[in-house]
Amino acid sequence: MRDALFSFFGSGALVAMAAAVVALVASVVFLRTRNFLYDALALASTEAGFVLLAAALAAGVLWSHTAAGVWWAWDTRLTSALVCGLVYAAYLMLRRAIEEPTERATSAAVVSVFAFLDAPLASIAIAWWRAHRTLPPEGGPPPGWGALASGNALAMLVLGAALTVILLRREERRRAQDARRRAALTL
Amino acid sequence: MGYFRQVAVVAFKDLRAELRTKEAINASLAFSIVILLLFSFAFDPSEDTMREISGGLLWIVFAFAGTLTLNRSFARELPNDCLDALIAAPLPASALFLGKCLANYALVLAVELVSLPVFGIFYNVRWARQFPELLLVLLLGTWALTVIGTIFSALTVNIKLREVMLPMLTYPILIPALMSAMQLTTALVGGTAINSDTIDSLKMLIGFDIVFTAVSLALVETVLVG
Repeated sequence: MRDALFSFFGSGALVAMAAAVVALVASVVFLRTRNFLYDALALASTEAGFVLLAAALAAGVLWSHTAAGVWWAWDTRLTSALVCGLVYAAYLMLRRAIEEPTERATSAAVVSVFAFLDAPLASIAIAWWRAHRTLPPEGGPPPGWGALASGNALAMLVLGAALTVILLRREERRRAQDARRRAALTL
Repeated sequence: MGYFRQVAVVAFKDLRAELRTKEAINASLAFSIVILLLFSFAFDPSEDTMREISGGLLWIVFAFAGTLTLNRSFARELPNDCLDALIAAPLPASALFLGKCLANYALVLAVELVSLPVFGIFYNVRWARQFPELLLVLLLGTWALTVIGTIFSALTVNIKLREVMLPMLTYPILIPALMSAMQLTTALVGGTAINSDTIDSLKMLIGFDIVFTAVSLALVETVLVG
């Protein structure tokens, strides 16, 4: 049970990392090309990654409870995941605060670059800080863990990709609607 | 005008404007003293407690008080469309950014250097035992605070909720730097010089400064011009 929870947390966090890479690439491409499709992709993959990270953190909290008896033991990996989640939450909040589409896309892309660079630094800082608070399994994974984890990660990856596509479609629909509204207002 | 001259002109313009009105620095200073006072009600400020939490306390005060100054940095240019004039002026956006950064740096450092003795008096701590190293940590940590604060101040200047958005954006990003600065400060205020336990934090602080100064300089044109 404990290993299953940990592999759920681990694979969720891994796929969230992959989503962050997609978001970074999409943001940089947007800044170069100013094609709003990439802005929508950056948003969709950040949102999908955020949802998976939240689920992973929930599993991580349960895992921490089974492994150490406390809900939050300041485990290095859980804390890093939480900090990355906070950084990307700021990205999503910034997007909600800006009305004008071009300004929103540009600002969000810049924040995405900052967030992506910050995540590894935060993880390293936390690892140095709480080196003595790593809950089991630390170091080598338990036997039979590889198959479980890779299966989990694969399922998570498919889920993340599907979520990204759904959210991308939603964002494009929203954008089209917004464009029509603006056109109607100018008339 | 050479690049550094341009940076200096912007920095001195900002400092002059601030020293004439004193709107940000007074608020920032008063705020930091209020937080220092409030913290003394939160726990019993005994010598042992102080040895454990001095770094955390100080950097939370610095981060909160610094945000007040940084919030004003670009917002000050909004009346009379000064920001548009600055952007249209014949100087690179990175010079404008660096100038503003340096002005903010001086202001935030000034507030910190006033709060430190106040902290020492309120909590009865001999904080200056490792002063040169503490000063180094202060300089590096404040630069991290300033560079992130200034670039996000530029980013949020046109948002209605900017006073809320700036701390929302800067604090999570600043976590690695603040964490390292807190650990170093706790050790140094406690009288321990930087040793093999804390050298990693110093490296993190320096790395953070380099990475985010470089990225900010690269992206500031995009942030200001679009």
